[in-house]
Amino acid sequence: MWRRMGLGIAVLLIIVWSGGAGAQVLNIAIPQDPDSFDPIRTVAAATSEVAFNIYEGLVKATPEGGVAPALATHWEVDASGTKYTFFLREAVFHDGSSVTVRDVVESLNRARDPELAVRAGELSMIKEVKALDNAVQVELYEPNGAFLYLLTEVYASIYPAEAENLSRQPVGTGPYYLADWRPNQHLELRRFEQHWSGELPYFSQVNFLIIPDENSMVLNLKAGRVQLIPRLEVSVLHQVENSPGIKIHTSPMNLVQLFAINNSRPPFDDLRVRRALALGLNREEILLGAAWGQGVLLDSALSPAMAGFYNDQLNEINPYDPQQAKELLREAGQENLRFTLTLPANYPLHVQAGELAAQQWERLGLEVDLEIVEWGTWLERVYTQRNYEVSIIGLAGRLDPHAILVRYTTDSSRNFFNFSNSRYDELIELGLRAQGEERRAIYLEAQEILARELPGIFIMDPLQMAAMREDIQGWRSYPTYVVDLASLYQ
Amino acid sequence: MKRFLWRRTGGFIFTALLVSFATFFIVQVLPGDPALLMLGTEASPASYARLRRELNLDQPALQRYLQWLGSFISGQWGNSWRYSLPVRELVSQAFPLSFALALLAVALAALASLPAGMYMAVRPHSPSSRVLSVLTQVALGMPQFWVGILLIQLFAVGFHLLPAGGFEGWQSLILPTLTLALPRTAILSRFLRAGMLEGLGQDYVRTAQAKGVAGPVVLFKHVLRNAALGPLTAAGVQFAQLLAGTIVVEQVFGLPGLGQLLLNGVFQRDLPLVQTVVMLVVLVILAFDLVFDLCLGLLDPRIRYE
Repeated sequence: MWRRMGLGIAVLLIIVWSGGAGAQVLNIAIPQDPDSFDPIRTVAAATSEVAFNIYEGLVKATPEGGVAPALATHWEVDASGTKYTFFLREAVFHDGSSVTVRDVVESLNRARDPELAVRAGELSMIKEVKALDNAVQVELYEPNGAFLYLLTEVYASIYPAEAENLSRQPVGTGPYYLADWRPNQHLELRRFEQHWSGELPYFSQVNFLIIPDENSMVLNLKAGRVQLIPRLEVSVLHQVENSPGIKIHTSPMNLVQLFAINNSRPPFDDLRVRRALALGLNREEILLGAAWGQGVLLDSALSPAMAGFYNDQLNEINPYDPQQAKELLREAGQENLRFTLTLPANYPLHVQAGELAAQQWERLGLEVDLEIVEWGTWLERVYTQRNYEVSIIGLAGRLDPHAILVRYTTDSSRNFFNFSNSRYDELIELGLRAQGEERRAIYLEAQEILARELPGIFIMDPLQMAAMREDIQGWRSYPTYVVDLASLYQ
Repeated sequence: MKRFLWRRTGGFIFTALLVSFATFFIVQVLPGDPALLMLGTEASPASYARLRRELNLDQPALQRYLQWLGSFISGQWGNSWRYSLPVRELVSQAFPLSFALALLAVALAALASLPAGMYMAVRPHSPSSRVLSVLTQVALGMPQFWVGILLIQLFAVGFHLLPAGGFEGWQSLILPTLTLALPRTAILSRFLRAGMLEGLGQDYVRTAQAKGVAGPVVLFKHVLRNAALGPLTAAGVQFAQLLAGTIVVEQVFGLPGLGQLLLNGVFQRDLPLVQTVVMLVVLVILAFDLVFDLCLGLLDPRIRYE
């Protein structure tokens, strides 16, 4: 033990880590380590941000929110809409072996095995994955409009069938491979020279440096130790806004911040009470006070970033109207209502928004007890046990609306609102089978139901701010949580 | 002496066991389920149940504690749940850094406080003493994260002399050491000043001066030696505190030390990691304590070990 520690000291103190030296090296600041690089076990958004560059699926997400070919050159869907045939391209893994039909079948089967995969439930529409000659056929139980989008998720990544210890040593086909990972210190990614595209990204080495403190992140950017902060905290925006040599890209985060209401707990089972809370909320003030104005107000469970499906006709339904809010409370006999607002301590944005809302609700004559809990407690008590009255959280968007909206159906295990509306449940069922304009109309109606029935009160989509040195070019914003390294150059 | 050592060793083991028991059960009663924290908000009930089995969370707490204790003693520290890495590997990377940082900070504080404390004692009414006294107050009042950021701003962003953070070699420890040493220098110098002022008024000092012993000899041999006991004890306590208590500085400077490891471990209810880090820190502190007590005897012959 002590010898090893001695060795550790020596290694730590003697080796001056070479990152930052020479050209074509990019240093990126992130606040924490990924959890695991095993595609079917990871849950942290911090992991998918990095893993996007290491792993690829049959298809991949585009910055516009579409689906583009990756390991599949193209695909065909049969007339019934249940049989997808993916034609594989010639590609090699980071370990030099070729991508085979068997690798694809194994990867997808592992991803949908509830005994192995954390999010297997999301692929439960798959009936069978069959190996064909240089192609893979996926058969679904019934047509599913969300299926193709789900294949862009990290859990649907393709890796060698025999791969072991993926959590620490990922083997994928992406434009970068993981060369080194020191917890709380850095991840080192190197360019994969045999990527199937034949194109080489500009940076030959990319280091993700772990810097937990947001002020330090900014100082590191100013000092030139890092060249890119993909997710700048809004509280330090003013420190870089007018700094010479630094530029900021903003884009919608595709995250919906909302007040969750426990719909099954009296008096919140009364729509009038939920509506009163919504009408008594001055969200303009919350946007300014909690997010420094860096966000977009919304009235839907979808972010405006989901342009194809977002219902932009809902802003008249719950305007700021404290007078009417008081009236509704009187009607419901709840003008002296006292309730607890539970806030997750690790998200300053949510805590501040919650504190502002509490003041606004108190102006209606209500009494709000603030309860600030740590994330583990929040997950257990609010999310899993559904033992709360009102809380606040940000729900991450996806590429396809179904994955987001299914949460509000009566039987969803993720429906911590205890929301139940039979028409809504029916629409979400229909939405899976519908296509094109018909599908869009269904989701527009579903969003309107949520805005009227209020499982919670939708607040805003905060802006994602990527701060970088002026000479960094090619930044691409995605509606998902990724940093696309291959597009960056200097 | 022998009896003293036996008694101390017994106390050592008892304290270590007590701490391990307390840590284990404090983490148990904390709300927040480790399996839930690992799986997040998208997990299925099936994978949740499976993970709980895998982590042995479905077994009684006492049984798990005894299992852990057995494997800790035999050197099997298990895998961290948060990092999916052997705890041993994580700790052997973080421990040397934290140890070095704590040692450097306390050593620097002790060195710097010596002239400052002595000067304030010998010339208590001089203007410079008053300035020094105010400065120690200021140093004590400044929050550490702020001092750290100020130093980065100055030396990394301004002069480009030192790295803005991370661990890139010796030079990465300079600013964190300064940040940590500053308030500790203030404390130690005030301790030293008080001790020496008291000593200077003692009869044996007057006797020594009266029989013509040279001023510096009186100061160093008679006064300082007696007055050093207080600050040295304080420095020992400071070192123990710093070993895993540099979280704020580690965060600001992005240093991969024990503090970060412990903090992330607690947030994720990563029992194997938290338990091992706490135990190691406790063991080191206890060992240090023992050695320190023995050293005090060298300084003050009146101290007896019984």
